[in-house]
Amino acid sequence: MNAAIETVGLHRVFDQRQGLFGPQAHVVAVDDINLKIAPGRALGIVGESGCGKSTLARVLLGLLPPSDGTVRVDGQNLANMDRRERAKLIQPVFQDPMSSLNPRRRVNDLIGLPLMVQGIRGGEQQRRVAKMLERVGLSPETGTRYPAQLSGGQRQRVAIARALVNQPRILVCDEPTSALDVSVQAQILNLLGDLRAEFDLTLVFISHNLAVVEHIADELAVMYLGRIVEHGPSEDVFRAPQHPYTRALLASVLTPEPGLGLPEVPLGEGYPDPSNIPPGCRFHPRCPIAIDRCRTEPPARRAVECHLAA
Amino acid sequence: MSATLKRSTNATLEVEGLRVSFGGMEAVRGIDLSVERGETHCLVGESGCGKSASALAIMGLLPGGARRSVRRLGFAGDEIGKLSERRMARLRGDRIGMIFQDPMTSLNPAYTIGSQMTEVLRRHRGLARDKAAERAVAMLDRVGVTAPGMRLGQFPHQLSGGLRQRVMIAMALLCEPTLLIADEPTTALDVTVQAQTLRLLAELQRELGLAVLLITHDLGVVARVAHRVSVMYAGEIVEQATTEALFAAPTHPYTRGLLDAIPVPGKVRRGDKLGSIPGIVPRIPAGFVGCAFRDRCAFAEPVCASNIPPQFASPDHAYRCRMAPDWWRATA
Repeated sequence: MNAAIETVGLHRVFDQRQGLFGPQAHVVAVDDINLKIAPGRALGIVGESGCGKSTLARVLLGLLPPSDGTVRVDGQNLANMDRRERAKLIQPVFQDPMSSLNPRRRVNDLIGLPLMVQGIRGGEQQRRVAKMLERVGLSPETGTRYPAQLSGGQRQRVAIARALVNQPRILVCDEPTSALDVSVQAQILNLLGDLRAEFDLTLVFISHNLAVVEHIADELAVMYLGRIVEHGPSEDVFRAPQHPYTRALLASVLTPEPGLGLPEVPLGEGYPDPSNIPPGCRFHPRCPIAIDRCRTEPPARRAVECHLAA
Repeated sequence: MSATLKRSTNATLEVEGLRVSFGGMEAVRGIDLSVERGETHCLVGESGCGKSASALAIMGLLPGGARRSVRRLGFAGDEIGKLSERRMARLRGDRIGMIFQDPMTSLNPAYTIGSQMTEVLRRHRGLARDKAAERAVAMLDRVGVTAPGMRLGQFPHQLSGGLRQRVMIAMALLCEPTLLIADEPTTALDVTVQAQTLRLLAELQRELGLAVLLITHDLGVVARVAHRVSVMYAGEIVEQATTEALFAAPTHPYTRGLLDAIPVPGKVRRGDKLGSIPGIVPRIPAGFVGCAFRDRCAFAEPVCASNIPPQFASPDHAYRCRMAPDWWRATA
């Protein structure tokens, strides 16, 4: 069986000028990523701001062309597909539905648009929109409203309905609950869990919140400065993180358990800069256990990219 | 609720009966709280619960169009509820420090870090430029900003988010305040930077004996830094207790719902449902009576539409609900 998503040597580089006459900077946002997601699995991608996780999402969705390498969706090269074919296979849910939903369209039209693009109109379109509204837990009246008249949670439900109305195979969620309150976040996560089973979806779930990712993902990939530095089954990564960066990330999560106090985070103050990736292991300037070899020699490309991991 | 939770009278901040309204809507509906020297009191709740409006009201920084009334607003033994704007402005940034969520909007992008930091000292302390710069460098160094001398010449956009928040902390503490009001100070930061920043704040608090009022939506932050917690819902404090008491025996159905909704690493199994609170936070019109949570509450009864007095789960733990203190033990 084909992998739902497979990337081979995926790169994405941005050229940025520092100021009007400044030097050209080469920002490597995605650096040689090779991923394979089996159909029906959920891959969680975590990492801090600037690690390239959102760029990766946009490349997987075909919204940004890769600088090098290929994305295969369901065995087909994404670059050779037209937009309509792509939209039937893979759909996004973004963080802020207020900026991804057209504010001048009613909810019914927003959810109906992907159907119209595929040539489904009239009564059939209305019927499918109504069914989808109900499925994501929105009342039929909501369909006649504008996005600005909805709460954040309702808007995210609309975004999910729009993404799923054509029954795609793959859903790429980029921080889908980060703008929501915890009680609403729980509603949306539960909904995504249900829909995933019902639609037999393959899920790519990107978040900075490790607990949220653990809740939904079968596999976890940890990104640091454009590379996946640790990749494995969620249980294993959460129970026994191997990469020192994964360990620091997990140690930093503040669980609602009083008495534990604040964790000491064994990372330097150095801030990762994707336009200036350190030689050797890219994590070495912040790594608490770095040895000389880490400063000069990049670690081998494997599930845990660290010289010192077993 | 602290009118009922009697505490020592030498608290740094004492708030009684604070109300804020915008137009016909009530944002804060009579809250009581106090913060003692060296203590962190967390005001926790979801967006729209009135936590930020409470903080702004205490600092006298509400936007035009908002109305504030307060029975008592005590700061270090003085009543400051009736102070003129001029005299409040003198307290802010001096004896009351403030930190907000997004340093990019509270730092002026057109001025260097140095000129913004020294302005505080020149204005409140009348220091000369070079003395002020010296003190600013020392403070930046104290909050762990590397190369502090160089930072004075930099603009806010040249710093990372974590560094900007450290600069904000340094600025807030320049005049050695006795009270620090921090509104979501680490919400915009990455998890690793959040943990580092909160550690720094806790260290500085011990060192300076600061009273800290911390506004947050994150019960994880509350559990790890607070001594005392007030849970806000729709403009009211629905539960107030020491941190240990609150997490050991959360009693208000809203507090319990919030805690159930948080995924905790290693605690929830994949595929398990998270607890979630149905519906959304209501807007409260003037003259509203009864429990504001009743429309979303699984235990609501007709009596919840009438005035609900606070009850005690223990001497240090008050909550505003009709249910008996240990009701949840039967359902757990």
